[in-house]
Amino acid sequence: MAQVTFREANKRYRRAFIPVMVIYAVVVFGGSYLLKQFETPPIWLSAIVALIMAAPIGGVLWLMWRLTRETDEYTRQQQMSAMAAGGLITAFISVMWGFLELYNVVPSMWTFLVGPIFFLSYGLVYRFVMKRSCEPGFEK
Amino acid sequence: MINSLRELRAERGWSQGDLADALGVSRQSINALETGKFDPSLPLAFRIARLFGKGIEEIFDDGLGHVKKAAE
Repeated sequence: MAQVTFREANKRYRRAFIPVMVIYAVVVFGGSYLLKQFETPPIWLSAIVALIMAAPIGGVLWLMWRLTRETDEYTRQQQMSAMAAGGLITAFISVMWGFLELYNVVPSMWTFLVGPIFFLSYGLVYRFVMKRSCEPGFEK
Repeated sequence: MINSLRELRAERGWSQGDLADALGVSRQSINALETGKFDPSLPLAFRIARLFGKGIEEIFDDGLGHVKKAAE
């Protein structure tokens, strides 16, 4: 594990996150534009565009992992707890939706939603645990 | 684990941010340590002890010191 301070780890994360997000935006808009040029885009091209669109998200996940490894031990513990909670919440929602789907209560879930559900639940749990860690005694 | 981090910090007139910067950790970590919500790893406990020029046991107390004394 690299020995960097909390500040340096966050700086490294932000420095890499912004370009990855810019690449993501360019790829999403560029890819959509490219596919719209065809009445029926060839499947191989659609597959390549979709995989290229997913690649920056893989990059963000890797950056999150690197930040978790480089940050201080307390923040790491909180982040790992939030990630685990996010994963468990996502798994529960997926299974619950699956049962509802099985009995034709709800339509088939768009697999694409799994990512946002994870990120949202991870983010909310992390915010909650960090808010709790600041009470009482945190100097503003 | 009980610790005297807040007192040691106050003696030196340091803010939580000052101590966090000196140790290379977040302010949340310092607060969590001071309020006993988080116990540091051994390497971090050594860094804290060296920073204050004290022994680890002078700063951190696991409340079992009396057990050791009784065994002796």
